[in-house]
Amino acid sequence: MRVRMRKVARRFLLAHAGLLLSASVSFAADASHPTSLRLNPSQYHQIIADTFGTSITVNGRFEPELREEGMEAIGAARASFSPAGIERYDDLARGIAEQVVDEAHRGILVQCKPQAATSRDDACARTFIGRTAPQLYRRPLKNGELETLVKVAGDSADTLHDFYAGLSTSLVNMLISPDFLFKYRKVEADPAHPSHLRLDGYSKATALSFFLWNSGPDELLLKAAQDGELHTKTGLQRQVDRMVSSPSLEVGVRAFFADMLGFSDFEIVSKDPAFFPRFTNRVKDDAKEQTLLTIVDHLIARQGDYRDLFTTPNTFMTRSLATLYGVALADKSDNGQPMHWQPYAFKDGDPRAGLLSQISFVALHSPAGRTSPTGRGKALREFILCQTVPAPPGNVDFKFVQDTSNPVYKTARDRLTAHRSEAMCAGCHKITDPIGLALEKFDSAGAYRTKENGVDIDTTGELSGKQFDGPAGLARVIRDEPAVTSCVARRAFAFGTGHFPPKGDEWSGIERKFADSKYKFPELLRQIAMSDLLFDVSQEEATAKAQ
Amino acid sequence: MTGKIFGFIVAPALLTLCLPSPQALAETRGYVISWFATATYIENLKEACPDGRNGTIVDMHIRDIQSLGYTKEQATAFMNSTKDPENKPRELADKYRNSAVVNGKNVSIYSYPDAAQDPNMETVSGKYAYGFDLGGKNETSKFADPETSAKIDNQLWRAVGCEHSYLVRPPLMPYPEEVAWNIFIDSAPAWSLQITGEDLSKDGPVTVTLDRTTQHLERDAAAYVLAGTTYIVEASQRSHNVLKGEIKNGMLTITPQNVYLEGEMPHYAEIDLINAHMRLKLEPDGKLVGYWGGYLDWQRYAYMIMTRPGNDADHIGIYWALKKMADADPDPVKGQNRRISGTFRVEAVPAFLTDTKGRIIATPMGSAELAAN
Repeated sequence: MRVRMRKVARRFLLAHAGLLLSASVSFAADASHPTSLRLNPSQYHQIIADTFGTSITVNGRFEPELREEGMEAIGAARASFSPAGIERYDDLARGIAEQVVDEAHRGILVQCKPQAATSRDDACARTFIGRTAPQLYRRPLKNGELETLVKVAGDSADTLHDFYAGLSTSLVNMLISPDFLFKYRKVEADPAHPSHLRLDGYSKATALSFFLWNSGPDELLLKAAQDGELHTKTGLQRQVDRMVSSPSLEVGVRAFFADMLGFSDFEIVSKDPAFFPRFTNRVKDDAKEQTLLTIVDHLIARQGDYRDLFTTPNTFMTRSLATLYGVALADKSDNGQPMHWQPYAFKDGDPRAGLLSQISFVALHSPAGRTSPTGRGKALREFILCQTVPAPPGNVDFKFVQDTSNPVYKTARDRLTAHRSEAMCAGCHKITDPIGLALEKFDSAGAYRTKENGVDIDTTGELSGKQFDGPAGLARVIRDEPAVTSCVARRAFAFGTGHFPPKGDEWSGIERKFADSKYKFPELLRQIAMSDLLFDVSQEEATAKAQ
Repeated sequence: MTGKIFGFIVAPALLTLCLPSPQALAETRGYVISWFATATYIENLKEACPDGRNGTIVDMHIRDIQSLGYTKEQATAFMNSTKDPENKPRELADKYRNSAVVNGKNVSIYSYPDAAQDPNMETVSGKYAYGFDLGGKNETSKFADPETSAKIDNQLWRAVGCEHSYLVRPPLMPYPEEVAWNIFIDSAPAWSLQITGEDLSKDGPVTVTLDRTTQHLERDAAAYVLAGTTYIVEASQRSHNVLKGEIKNGMLTITPQNVYLEGEMPHYAEIDLINAHMRLKLEPDGKLVGYWGGYLDWQRYAYMIMTRPGNDADHIGIYWALKKMADADPDPVKGQNRRISGTFRVEAVPAFLTDTKGRIIATPMGSAELAAN
């Protein structure tokens, strides 16, 4: 039966595949100001959890994310689907649909009982699809859409003699639909300004919900879109206030910083276990989580100043992480039970403080067997300060840099100094290495050390004319860099729109209000959400509408 | 002799009262036991096991099958016919397992090893084994320790040292122990060790404290035991041992004393050493590596071997050899010795140790971290 079911579903899939490809090609053409953005894996997971609950697991692989200008949110504007990718999303959809209608879940997730489980029941299918599809598509169903999906369920049930298999087929269709997999921005004439176009209410709701919650709109937001509330300042304010104070804001903040800090690269991080035995898989997972917990705690729970993320001694720790950090952490979990996260504060004078000294930063930006002050400096410049560091020339000679057992150049500083003697390398290393070398007392895995090859490590440096010594000193200088706050603001905007904000008074006003709030991150999000820039209709969108 | 040995027995709680409190001293280093198995010495097998009759695992299976009444040729043919050359054919394995007869019924030889036939395994007749002079009076049964050259008592090694699964060098463990140890690491509460002294960088008296923790060992990225993790020492006094010790030239030794550490099957149900001796070298990487010896209950050792999940050892041969080689604590009625001199090789990695309230009581490197916390 399963084989037959797959064949039936395959027919529908093939029909959608063409649509998917054409959609992706056409929308990917204008990436500077995108009209559609592909759902990323975390958004996909979140929507499934929001729609069906967390007991439905999403098993399978996604299309690789594309990082552009430092962010996957920007790359999503250029991302489409490969033929193999369609197969992957088909598999994901099947896995989800089968769980939703299985005997363990159907009683809860299918809101009606068919007259007979072995045949079609269009009324029951209509009830399920009528509730599910608008959540997945993030808009009400258009004329005929509901009946088409009900027909798919019914025809499939007839063929398979199984109502739930039919429902599953229909759900697979929803989950592989471009309306689910892409976030569209649809424009309409603005009645208040007849010569202007605006995003329609559902596009605004979608933009808001993915920006603030990294998920689709909830029922209240969809209702606000339906009622036109999002087109009025008061209505929009009401929804934004509700969303910013919702627990779901944490989901959005986590997703944003995971993107901004390049955490998807953790999938390919590895350390040589012979040299870094404490860098276990559990540490790798916990390192990301530690940083995200620190961020959420500081920015949301404590309503802290964003800049203080770089100097705060407060974080969270598991027993595994504590081992790599070289600190004690008693975990009173019963033997064999999962480790607990515990608040942890580094002591005054500890070289660790803030995000830059966390394992998620220093280990992520180091090769498997050695540190890379250049890589760490580059990451700091690009991820935190939104500055561009040119790629090395193709013929660069890394012989000094990579030779960690060189008897003459015993420390990374020595090796980089030798490397910089080559004129073509000097320019870029001047902007990366001084800040990267400040973190040299953290080895490739992020553990603390004081010597390399028996030689004391020198962590002094200078940034923007300010001298510092060590990671704590660097963190204090970074905290006060103006680029730090403007960078996070620009990236937050890009997270919501897929592109950086245009220069101008409106954007300057947002940055100023961010500063006035003492750099409270939720306030930044509120300002962006309330601005016209988030819903701005591009020339391309206007042209597309006209055509 | 045994009377003298058991004269050492003093309740650990009483000892705690007699010794200075570790907290009163300047520096306490914490460790967890990260490697524990019977100490092996196989450098001159021809001398140690000149007969060589124990042979390989296949030879063992052939002997077992012969004990069921088959000829050697038949037994060899059976073994040649199996797809898995390291196991008897299933039917014969079952038959062998149930070949003991008790009250007229066939029963498992592993449950009733005394009712099984003694395979008369070859035992060690060489000169060397790791261990300690436990005060054994039988000079002819003494070995020489390859490190210290001292005459030592280690009848455990004499019993098992020619059995094929024991013919390994560290880091390998005898196979039955290795299987159990890998289960122990991931499930059973770890054993902790503290060294307390005024300045552990110098020679001098120390206090060694052994305990069980509440958590199992953690593995590092290469699947060895992770160093530097925090463990909570259990509050129970059952496995709490406070020992007088000394560091001299980087070697930690103790004044002989009884040691009891609760374990967990299928590894050792307990480490219960009478007249325990220790010598542990402080390695540059912070590890401790060395030996613990003493008199242990040979039947408990055999029990550990017998309940092995992967049982590729001559369990019955080991049982009988241990029984014959036991050299202490005679049963007052039967006269059979109940304990055997033996030595374990031990490694320990640095760790943070806390009490059950989370207060740090020992750190990997000693005073600096303790003061910082």
